[in-house]
Amino acid sequence: MAIFPTLKTKAVAQYPASRAIRFEHQALRFVDGAEQRYRGSAGPLHSWTIRLNELDETEMAAIEDFFASNQGRFGNFLFVDPWDGHTYPNCSISKDEIETIASGEMRGKTSLTVIENRG
Amino acid sequence: MKVFPQLGTGAISQFPVVKHRRLRTVVNRAADGSSIKLADPAGGYIEWVLEFRGLDDTEIATLQEFYTDVEGELTGFTFVDPNGNLLARTEELNDVIWQADPLLTLTGGVADPSGGTSAWHAANSGQAPQCVIQTLNAPAGYIYSFSVYAKAAEATGLTLLVAGQRTARTATTGWTRFVLTAAGDPTANSVAFGLEIPASSAVDVFGPQVEAQPAASAYKRGVAGGVYEGARFRDNEFMYTTTDVNRHATTVSIFYADHL
Repeated sequence: MAIFPTLKTKAVAQYPASRAIRFEHQALRFVDGAEQRYRGSAGPLHSWTIRLNELDETEMAAIEDFFASNQGRFGNFLFVDPWDGHTYPNCSISKDEIETIASGEMRGKTSLTVIENRG
Repeated sequence: MKVFPQLGTGAISQFPVVKHRRLRTVVNRAADGSSIKLADPAGGYIEWVLEFRGLDDTEIATLQEFYTDVEGELTGFTFVDPNGNLLARTEELNDVIWQADPLLTLTGGVADPSGGTSAWHAANSGQAPQCVIQTLNAPAGYIYSFSVYAKAAEATGLTLLVAGQRTARTATTGWTRFVLTAAGDPTANSVAFGLEIPASSAVDVFGPQVEAQPAASAYKRGVAGGVYEGARFRDNEFMYTTTDVNRHATTVSIFYADHL
């Protein structure tokens, strides 16, 4: 199983980083205004938005290689939550596109979102 | 095939360089959050947005002439990734893409200067120099910077090779990055980069890198290589702004798609 790459500092993310929890509930609304809600999935799914700045060329290349070797959002990998260290074994990148910006020497920038998958 | 021109500085681009890499995955997401995915490896493309500032009259004329020559987005050309390592499989010197002479023994898993174990031990047991080379179908007339880290148990000579150019260096007991900047033969169809190890010698090597610029940047692992044959301009319009005497600015978008 592939593992999400770390920076040279061994960190996964930089500030500001975002973390989200997503449920898949369903709600039925009746004509009298009442609602009936039920769970549509077994539990929440997590996602992490990772914004990386001031990367050197090696780190930028490692992130891009990881994206390419995973074939964008197709491949699954293991991700360690930088907030609490919990390991999520079934994660993927949210989109099929990555943008890398080299603003200068050792001044690379990119951003991607990791999502937890079910099944 | 036509090749994207280098600037007068020998570089392909200026900062900032924006690179989009887009792949295609078909996803069928179920209501419970699970999903079925189907990859489409051939459906990807890469796009570079290159901003040029302070170009002199010659450079802007060269760019405009090239743009006219390829007729905008109509005709493909060879483009090398300005941010990438042009070599492929740089941490797999036993891959078939590398041509190693028969008496050169390559052993992987050696500790490298970045704290990993991606360096290689290259031992020449023969009585003549032996080479390990990778040949790129890259623009032969470009200025290239070939760099590699090397060390040896004792001071040992090694030679860096770029096309017909060669330069001798001495590897010592600590990791040293050696760089050879040279241009290839403009009439050739390919350029070879490599190392020559003298007879009965051994060196540890790590991080071979080729860039189409006069100096080496930080090492980037090369996986698939950075030479793209069949790249095209994104747009059918080439506009530039003259900001001063002998000073021009323009932005071009270049894309490469596997399936085109």
